Amino acid sequence: MRAVWAIACGMIKELIRKKDFYVLLIFMLVLLGFLSYQNFFQIEGISRYVRDFGYSLLMFFSFIIAVTFTAKQLPSEIEARTIYPLLSKPLSRHTVILGKFCGGVMVSVVSFTIFYAIFVGFYMTGGEGKSLVLLGQGFIFGILFLCMISALVMFFSNFMTMSANVTLTFLLYLTIGGFSNSLRGIVFFSKGIIATLYGVLYYLLPHLEFFDLRIRITHAWDPLPMWVVLSVSGYTFFYCLALLYFAGYVFGRKRF
Amino acid sequence: MQQVIFTKDLYYTYGNGKRKVEALKGVDLSVNNGEIFGFIGPNGAGKTTTIKLLLGILIPKKGELTLFGESPAKPKTRQTVGYMPEIADYYKYLTPVELLIMYGNIFGINKNLLHKRIKKLLELVDLEEAANRLMRTFSKGMMQKVSFAQALINDPDLLILDEPMGGLDPVSRKRMREIIQDLRAKGKTIFFSSHELSEVELVSDRIGILHKGHLLAVGPAKDLLGGKEEGQSLESYFLKMIREGI
Repeated sequence: MRAVWAIACGMIKELIRKKDFYVLLIFMLVLLGFLSYQNFFQIEGISRYVRDFGYSLLMFFSFIIAVTFTAKQLPSEIEARTIYPLLSKPLSRHTVILGKFCGGVMVSVVSFTIFYAIFVGFYMTGGEGKSLVLLGQGFIFGILFLCMISALVMFFSNFMTMSANVTLTFLLYLTIGGFSNSLRGIVFFSKGIIATLYGVLYYLLPHLEFFDLRIRITHAWDPLPMWVVLSVSGYTFFYCLALLYFAGYVFGRKRF
Repeated sequence: MQQVIFTKDLYYTYGNGKRKVEALKGVDLSVNNGEIFGFIGPNGAGKTTTIKLLLGILIPKKGELTLFGESPAKPKTRQTVGYMPEIADYYKYLTPVELLIMYGNIFGINKNLLHKRIKKLLELVDLEEAANRLMRTFSKGMMQKVSFAQALINDPDLLILDEPMGGLDPVSRKRMREIIQDLRAKGKTIFFSSHELSEVELVSDRIGILHKGHLLAVGPAKDLLGGKEEGQSLESYFLKMIREGI
């Protein structure tokens, strides 16, 4: 575990020293500040828009950090040729993948926590209906979402260039919710082998829509039952485990 | 004397079918404990492939390969191996100290020992003043020094150096030679590849000449040059071997 932690820590230091994160942070503060200024004049229902927009923004920015930081890990090691000294150390290829994944998750979780703290500040100071339990669930689901994204990106890193990886993950992020719903409909209404094939495809796809609590938080609905939180956590754990196992397997067969 | 590196009929190819390129064609090699072994050959001879095989980065297609009697593909075997690559553009947003801490932690070195060793290594390679500077400001020569320091972080019994003198000024080259000889005096084994034939001749106990995947000659420089006309340099011998090897 010390080796995994060592690799991950290098990525955190990189985040702190690079400007990308600060640009996103300032951008988010400016946008939320502007929206809450509108709230100051008590325009009816504006607080919901602030919540909706703020939550979407923080998830999107955290997603950007998770994708860009994780996607460049293996390609930049190969390009800078630091992959050779790294692989010459007493590490298995799976450990390298796990270290890079943990680094990606840590980097995005640190950013997400800062973004979320700002969002909570706006959430608590304006509007009606506040639920700390729901905010806690939103935080947990955000972290699970970032684990899922980092594992996906790590897996794709073995097969494609950084830009292709970022593009594919971005497309998945944008379309998976709608696509999953359509697929579920097809499975429900079709029969035989077609239904089985679509069913397999449905369960293979990463269900990023599970992690989206935007509407629930915006409208301050009731918190999710505990079994849902546990089920989504279990789903994320096993999905990430499978992705990282295959990523490590493919990486282990790569010849540099 | 204990064999640190042993290969028998080592064979490696890149690609398949029509694209198949034979990089190594049955290399037999043994390097003993406490020896400095210089590995020379023209571009594309298979030197870096051999080094990658020794480090477990590549897996032989055929033949035997052991380090300290074990397969280098096992991570545990690499615990006592240090490696300095030919070119590596180390993490630009880290300092040399942070890089060495990262690698030291991978080796599982005790924290106190690690900090003492980092201080000593940075002194050894004359980088104390730049110890806490981001590496994005480093010159090629400074990067080479960092690279050398990271190869020594685990106090390795076997040091594999790929073109260690590249990018170094004459003073640093001399210093590097001295360090390599000091390491040998401490019982370390050093395997290094280089294009700098004079450097190889100066420090190596034995030399191996690789050409087109074949090991053409192995032995101490004076033995390889023995019997030849007086004043023949390793360079002229090397060129002659390569011509004959073709």
